Amino acid sequence: MSADNGFEPTIIGFLCNWCSYAGADLAGGSRKKYAANVLPIRVMCSGTVSPHHIVKAFQMGADGVLVTGCHIGECHYMKGNYMTAKRIPVVKELLGFIGISPDRLMLDWVSASEGEKFARVVTEFSDKIRSLGPSPLKGRVHGRVKEESQASA
Amino acid sequence: MEELKKKVKQALEEGKIHGFLGLKADEGDISPFFMTKDNIAELEKLTAPDGRYSLGKILSRIAAQNPGKAIGVMVRGCDERAIIELTKASQLGTASTVQFGVACTPQTAEKCNCPQPYPSTIDFGEKAKSVNHGELLTKLEQMSVEDRLAYWMAQFDKCIKCYGCRNICPVCYCQECTLEDKNLVPGGIVPPATPVFHFIKAMHMADRCIDCGLCEATCPSNIPLRTIYRHMRKVMQELFDYVPGRAADDKSPLGTLEEGGRLIH
Repeated sequence: MSADNGFEPTIIGFLCNWCSYAGADLAGGSRKKYAANVLPIRVMCSGTVSPHHIVKAFQMGADGVLVTGCHIGECHYMKGNYMTAKRIPVVKELLGFIGISPDRLMLDWVSASEGEKFARVVTEFSDKIRSLGPSPLKGRVHGRVKEESQASA
Repeated sequence: MEELKKKVKQALEEGKIHGFLGLKADEGDISPFFMTKDNIAELEKLTAPDGRYSLGKILSRIAAQNPGKAIGVMVRGCDERAIIELTKASQLGTASTVQFGVACTPQTAEKCNCPQPYPSTIDFGEKAKSVNHGELLTKLEQMSVEDRLAYWMAQFDKCIKCYGCRNICPVCYCQECTLEDKNLVPGGIVPPATPVFHFIKAMHMADRCIDCGLCEATCPSNIPLRTIYRHMRKVMQELFDYVPGRAADDKSPLGTLEEGGRLIH
């Protein structure tokens, strides 16, 4: 499937219950083909996805994190996704400054009727992460590279 | 200084303030002190030294013990900004503050690398020029992502998880701290989960950091924490035109559901 020495990225997807998760359901229900790299986690609102969850995903070896929610103005909780829209750019900046490429985090809006879009977003994001390669945090134990900590132990 | 002491004394005697919080010099040692009308003699030791204390943090404790009362407090530029942030977060309860402004000397400003070494009203001292050394920040911003990761990982590796940066921070006020969440930062390991530990702190600082530099001054491992927080301040200003500590009626874009700021898509 991939040309880059068989690297298949692991992507954590935070999908909102009301739009994106239903969108993913629709993509599956209508037998759309898309990359199987995203491990979906259903959250009640994209606005509940804390930066802590995102960085924890990276620390536990995720190569990318995808956050999807309802379109602006269509949030089940009226303005929950405004939080997401404001928060994610800040998280991206911080990730970039600490040394994790901000391209590894992606925010997009997928409504319940956009199964096609969900499939496209997932496939495109998987391709992007595949070209970026494995996460630089992979293989580190609490920040240190595994071999080093074993050698010093 | 005598004039300031007189002002405080007058305010105390007239009942304008219930008590006063400031810094004192006691046999060469600098420490924060809180006094009321009953121990007015303490006021003689009032001083504006080089050294600093997180007076905002102490003030929030005193405010909790004295609800509804007016408390006088000696403020520097950084203390004033901290009090603004604490007010926004309702950390001073029903107590009100009467501020006695002290401008820092140019030496202190230089030592603290302070962009605003004076409060809005000055009762003592002369306005010093603002200092803004940002060489490390510029250097890091020009680095490649890979180099930055290597740099920060080496820095975070020095962390001994003393929580000094959090404890001294005048705007860290939560009763339950995310940095102590065992799911995010497992216990018993030093250095703490990197980069999660420092990422959480930086994320929380984004809309709060008043750039006082106490975290960096406290850090026993000399991690350039302030550089991260300064970057976050810059990001908040660029994205949302939000500067923590600027005005008490500003609202943090990250803490409200309001529109505004830059919405993507």
